[in-house]
Amino acid sequence: MIKQLSVFLENRPGRLANLLDVLERHNIKVLAMGIAEAGNYGIVRLIVDRKGEALEVLRGANMAVNETNVIAISLNDLSSAVRTLGKANINIDYAYTMDCQRVILKVNNEAEAIKALSGAGIRALDV
Amino acid sequence: MCTYKLSRSELVELQNKRLRLLVKYVFERSPFYRRRFIENGIDPESIRTKEDLRRIPFTTKADLRDNYPLGLVSSDLSQIVRFHASSGTTGNPTVVAYTKQDVESWAELNARCLEIAGVTPKDVVQVSYGYGLFTGGLGLHYGAERLGAKVIPASTGNTKRQLKLMKDLGTTVICCTPSYGLFLAESARDEGLDPKRDLKLRVGVFGAEPWSENTRRRLEEQFVESAHDIYGMSELNGPGVAMECVMKDGLHVWEDHYIVEIIDPNTGEVLEPGEKGEMAVTTIMKEGMPLLRYRTRDITILDDEPCECGLNHARIKRILGRTDDMLKIRGICVFPSQVEEILMKTEGVSPHYQLIVDREGVMDRLMVRVEVSEDFKTDRLTDLVNLQQKLEEELKDTLSIHAVVELVEPKKLPRSEGKAQRIIDMRKI
Repeated sequence: MIKQLSVFLENRPGRLANLLDVLERHNIKVLAMGIAEAGNYGIVRLIVDRKGEALEVLRGANMAVNETNVIAISLNDLSSAVRTLGKANINIDYAYTMDCQRVILKVNNEAEAIKALSGAGIRALDV
Repeated sequence: MCTYKLSRSELVELQNKRLRLLVKYVFERSPFYRRRFIENGIDPESIRTKEDLRRIPFTTKADLRDNYPLGLVSSDLSQIVRFHASSGTTGNPTVVAYTKQDVESWAELNARCLEIAGVTPKDVVQVSYGYGLFTGGLGLHYGAERLGAKVIPASTGNTKRQLKLMKDLGTTVICCTPSYGLFLAESARDEGLDPKRDLKLRVGVFGAEPWSENTRRRLEEQFVESAHDIYGMSELNGPGVAMECVMKDGLHVWEDHYIVEIIDPNTGEVLEPGEKGEMAVTTIMKEGMPLLRYRTRDITILDDEPCECGLNHARIKRILGRTDDMLKIRGICVFPSQVEEILMKTEGVSPHYQLIVDREGVMDRLMVRVEVSEDFKTDRLTDLVNLQQKLEEELKDTLSIHAVVELVEPKKLPRSEGKAQRIIDMRKI
C-alpha cells in the first residue's frame, strides 16, 4: 500500500503550475498525477518520491492537502485485478496509470482488496 | 462606578431625572435641538419620562452629516478637549466632540465593561483596536487604565509583533475585532504556536463588527478562554455602550448613561422588549455632543428580564445586522451575519468568506465565496460537490434566495484587521 496526496486547487490558469513549483523547489519528484474536477475547482492526486516532506512543504505553503492509502499494481495485472475485486464486491473508487507499467487504484476497502488480490496471485507494488 | 449596581426602579428613576436635565440642557445650549423643539411645537418641560421621548423626532446620521463639522455640539467649544471622527464612506466623516467630563464618563463605561467580563487590575490588557480618530483603541485604553490594569497600546497591524508582545508580556486580555482575533489565532498557528496552550488569553473583548455564536465558539476553541461582545459607536462615545457579562446572554446597556428604544425602522413606532427592531439611543450624560433618539441603524432585541449576573441594566441581543449593511437581493433582505452563521457551523470550510452580488439582466445574483479549510480531509470529489450543495441548500433555506457557492483555496480571500470587508456589490443602480 502506498500513500497518495490529494490537494484542493481552484481550476484556473496558474494553480497547477504553482503547486508543481512548490514541489520542484524542494526537489520532490512527481511520480504520478490524476486530476478530478468539478466546476471551478478540483482535486489533484499525486504520488511523489518523498511523501512526508511533500506533505509538510505543501502545508507550509498553505495548501489544503491530505494523504490517502492507494494500491499500485502492474498494468499487466489490470484485467485480472479488476475482475478479482469485482467478485469480492470491492469498489474501485478511482484509478490512474503510472509510467506505462503501473496502475494506481483507490478502493473502498484496502485490507480486503489486498487479501483478494493476493489470493488471485496479484502483487501490490511499492513505489 | 457605584451607579451601575442600582435596582431596576432606581435605574428608571435616574434615567427620567437625567433625561429632564438633558432636555433642558440641549434646548438651552444646542441651536440644532432648540430649532427642532420649536419647529415641532414641543415644550421641553413636557418631557418628563422616557415614554415622552416619542414626541421628539429622531436624530439621524444625515443630521450629523448635514451639520458637519460641529453643528450638533451643545457645549461651549472652549469646553471641548477631544475630537474623534468616523470614516465617511460618502462625503464628510462624522465628527464627535467630548468635554473633559465626557472623556471621563467614557473611560468609566469601558472600565465597567471590562469588569463585568471578569477583567481585574491584575490583568495585562492588549488593546489591538486602531488608535487614532477611530474610537476603538482609545476607548478600551482609557477603560483598562481606569480599571487599573496594565495596558499595551498595540493598535492594529504588525501581527508578528502582536504575538510576540502576548508571549513576552503575558497578555491576559485581548481587545480587537473578531475577524482580527481569528487572524491572530491563525497567524499564531502558522508560527507553530498553540494559542490555548502557549498564550495566556483569558478574556477577549471583541466588537466593532457583528459576529455570530459560531464565531464565539471558534474564538474560544482557538484563541481565548472567554470571548465577550462589546458594543458602541463613536456618536455615542465609542465602545463601551453595552457589554456581555459572564453569562454571555445579551449585552448589558449602561442605562444610567443611555436610554434605549427599539423602533420599527420603517414607521418609527416604538416596539416592546422581545421585538426585533432598530435601536435608537438618547445620551443622558453627554455634555459635548449629546444626542436625542439617535438612530443607530443596528438591529437588535431588548431584554429587560433580570440577568443571573445580578446587574439590572437591560440587555440587547447581539446585533443581528445593520439597516444599511443589509443587502436587498431580489427584493429580499439578506444580512451577512446570516451567511456567517451557516458557514461557521459547517465542517470543511474556514470562517473566511466573501459575498458578491451582481445583476444579470433583471435578476440579482448572489455568490458566496468560501475557503476550503486547511485541514481538508477528503480525497473524493463528490465530498466537495456535496459540501457545496449542502451549503447552497442551507443558504436557500435561511435566506429564501438561491446563492451559488464557490469554493476557493485557503488564504485566498482578503483578511482584514479592521472591519472585515466581506461584501462586494457590483450592481450599478
